[in-house]
Amino acid sequence: MANAKQKAEAHHDHHGHGEEHFRQKHLMLDPLPRGRMNEMVMESMLEKPTWKFWVVAGFLSFIVVYFLFYKWGVLIANGQGEAGVMRPDYWGIFLVNTVFWIGISHAGTFISAILRVFRAEFRRPFTRAAELMTTFGLVQAGFSIFMHLGRVWLAYWLMPYPNQRMLWPNLHSPLTWDLLAITTYLLSSTMYLFLPLIPDMAMARDRSTGWRKTFYKTLALGFRGTEGEWAHLRNAMNIFAFAIIPVMFSVHTIVSWDFAAAMRPGWHSTIFGPYFIVGALHSGMGAAVLVLAVIRGTMKHMDYFIRAEHFDAIGKLMLIISMAWAYFFFNDYMVQWYGGDMWTKIMLHYHEYGPLNWMWFGMLFCNVVLPWAILWNPKWRSTPWLVGFVGIAINIGMWFERYIIVPISVTINRMPFTWRQYEPGIEVPMGIGTVALFILLYMIASKLIPLIPVWEVQEGQMAHELKKFGRETVVSVSELE
Amino acid sequence: MTTSSELNMPEIAMAEKEAGKWGMVIDQDICTGCQACVAACAMENNIAFVGEEDSGYGRAMHWIRIERFWEGEYPEVKMTNQQPMMCQQCGSAPCEPVCPAFATVHSMAESLNLQVYNRCVGTRYCANNCPYQVRAFNWRDYKRPEPLPNQLNPDVTVRRVGVMEKCTFCIQRIFKAQDQAKAEGREVMDGEFTTACAQACPASAIVFGRVDDPQSLVSQLKERSGGKTHLKELGTLPNVTYFNGG
Amino acid sequence: MTETESKVVDLLAVFSDLGPASDAVEHLRSLGVHDDCMNIISGVPVTEAMLGRPQQWTNVPRIAMGGALLGLGAGMFLAFVTPFLYPYPIQVGSQYPVPGPPTVVVLFELTMLGMLISTFVGVFLDSFFPNYRPMKYVPEISDGKIAILVECPHVEENKITDALKKLGAESVKPAEAQHL
Repeated sequence: MANAKQKAEAHHDHHGHGEEHFRQKHLMLDPLPRGRMNEMVMESMLEKPTWKFWVVAGFLSFIVVYFLFYKWGVLIANGQGEAGVMRPDYWGIFLVNTVFWIGISHAGTFISAILRVFRAEFRRPFTRAAELMTTFGLVQAGFSIFMHLGRVWLAYWLMPYPNQRMLWPNLHSPLTWDLLAITTYLLSSTMYLFLPLIPDMAMARDRSTGWRKTFYKTLALGFRGTEGEWAHLRNAMNIFAFAIIPVMFSVHTIVSWDFAAAMRPGWHSTIFGPYFIVGALHSGMGAAVLVLAVIRGTMKHMDYFIRAEHFDAIGKLMLIISMAWAYFFFNDYMVQWYGGDMWTKIMLHYHEYGPLNWMWFGMLFCNVVLPWAILWNPKWRSTPWLVGFVGIAINIGMWFERYIIVPISVTINRMPFTWRQYEPGIEVPMGIGTVALFILLYMIASKLIPLIPVWEVQEGQMAHELKKFGRETVVSVSELE
Repeated sequence: MTTSSELNMPEIAMAEKEAGKWGMVIDQDICTGCQACVAACAMENNIAFVGEEDSGYGRAMHWIRIERFWEGEYPEVKMTNQQPMMCQQCGSAPCEPVCPAFATVHSMAESLNLQVYNRCVGTRYCANNCPYQVRAFNWRDYKRPEPLPNQLNPDVTVRRVGVMEKCTFCIQRIFKAQDQAKAEGREVMDGEFTTACAQACPASAIVFGRVDDPQSLVSQLKERSGGKTHLKELGTLPNVTYFNGG
Repeated sequence: MTETESKVVDLLAVFSDLGPASDAVEHLRSLGVHDDCMNIISGVPVTEAMLGRPQQWTNVPRIAMGGALLGLGAGMFLAFVTPFLYPYPIQVGSQYPVPGPPTVVVLFELTMLGMLISTFVGVFLDSFFPNYRPMKYVPEISDGKIAILVECPHVEENKITDALKKLGAESVKPAEAQHL
């Protein structure tokens, strides 16, 4: 008799999920009073840094100062000869890093704009964490491209403004489009980071003292939350969410045109635009999931806001994007291979059998094999450290991809006399410097800016409820806007 | 044969009309690969002295280079003709549109590709997009060992670090000859001057002159059968014609 | 009419829930308080429909459109005018001074740049940001409370206070402008 009852209960648990089950699983169904959430976010931010934090921050600062700024000084003083670039590899790791960081920056916009437009509710707790990646990633991309310039002190010549030199930038050049597009993207993504931050700044202002009070008060701009303020903000965020999507697409398309517009075997490909966009999302999502795993593991109360369901949802997206990347890669490869152009053939052969073919195979392993092998399983892709690991692997794979596209592919050109393999020089420490600066900026931001958009989480929790259809309980969302 | 202008393709027609004021003919069959042109070019154009280490790493700075190739597998190796390679002064140059600073532009008066050193910011896109890989970048501020500083050509700018440069068809000589001719109230005569490489070539494998004048030596040499331009399929309309195995 | 009678006071009523707040809005209206004399302050975006309030007027989309046009104008200047501002014509490759496809890219980027910057500026203009003057506010609002700011004649202060309290307001007091 008791046995039968147990069985029945087990049966019940399995089929009709109890409310408790949903609450544990979904942040949106597990509401806390707003005051409590504010407290948690403030505590996570104000928590006294441990000695580990200071050690890591000190180490990163050293790397930034020495590897990024000191080495950059050396590079400027001595010229690009300090780097590994030469004929025919006029472009090297600096441009690899530029493309890489712009790629990382795409995740922020993807999460906070595309998912917002399509009302993917799981985005709510981490839109800000992703947007911060966009802004900080673009800073690194900007640094990388300035490192690459032979005469960086004249970089302002590329800006369109009336001047006594009677110079206007050449609008025929993909690099000029790049400058316009990256400027647009950096400005608009920073503004898009700031707009939803205003209410959270007001929240932080209301519960802080001392210099922080002044800081938050200044950035909250006097926001109270009147109907008018919300209406203007909502309208603006709506415009941004829609308008920033084509801007994001244009940025990486134009980055791809830097290569595709050039008359080179392997580069002159019409599919490069979408291929680069998907690649950018691939590395961006990988980085986003890694950031989330780290935030969740190191910051107080973050396990309430960032849960297994979020890793599961991002894991699914990563899997889809990985498939899309494989599709575009194969398209690009297939058509180039079949085209039969002699130089392209030699270049493809150099990818697969050349001295750096481990990179080519490593790229396929990290970008396709590993994500597919791990992310198909709901349990595995809900495990933060495992998805974080896949995120790292994807980023390594995507870095390899850009390395293959830039210095490996330019080794092969139509003048065989000039073929020569690239050996990186000062680019390596400087590239590590950009990584350190990115992490350092993120660490500083995590102590200054509420990483969780509390009002967005509360808005989501208001909209979610459990509904019963017969015996089945399901999650339902109402559209509040 | 239908020409592009008959098909009403304005961009190509424009470039074809543009193509060719100054041109060069290179006879690979008589080139001995002695490198005299390379040395003469470096002297004439104040080209930096790169040194052994950087040269060995593909940073040799020459506006003209002699490419050597061979056929067959070792030990059955057969040398083929030497191939002097310099800026082809394309009529439709891929290097030009990609520069964000207008540092490399087309001279419509002389039909040459100009490189404006003081406009260059060093993106190196032009060099990447040059199918002939003939552009040279100032990777560092190279020191000229004594006594090289004493023989700098006053007619040519000295370039510094971070600037792209390339063969100009000795534009300083072109202007000198044109000024001279103008002062004397006449046209520049064929053979009145030539580029440093052509002047130095002991075998006269390089001939320079007006290709738009059918009477000039270079035009007549160009009209012989068997002349080729490199990578013609790209439509860059180069102004250097090569003869090989003729 | 004496001076004290015509004096206007601001009351700040704090509610912890949407329902009572929306009832209060309706009741205030029946007491003769015009919609323009009320303002809702909240920590989450509460839509006008939820509280039965008239739609808020916002200039942000119009400012954005204006900015987009300005950006397009700037793009047209770059694309169509600057190639002819040189003292001599510049030709690159065999492309025309105003090339077709690149012009599209330039126009697009500058239009978007103009639109997004002006959207951002529009929020500042419409909301009078940044504004560091003292304002009528209580910090509980960012803890999720909903506050109704009522502007009423001095004589009706008690009547309205009682009514709001009866409808479930946690506190009703004359609002004092303070530094946030």
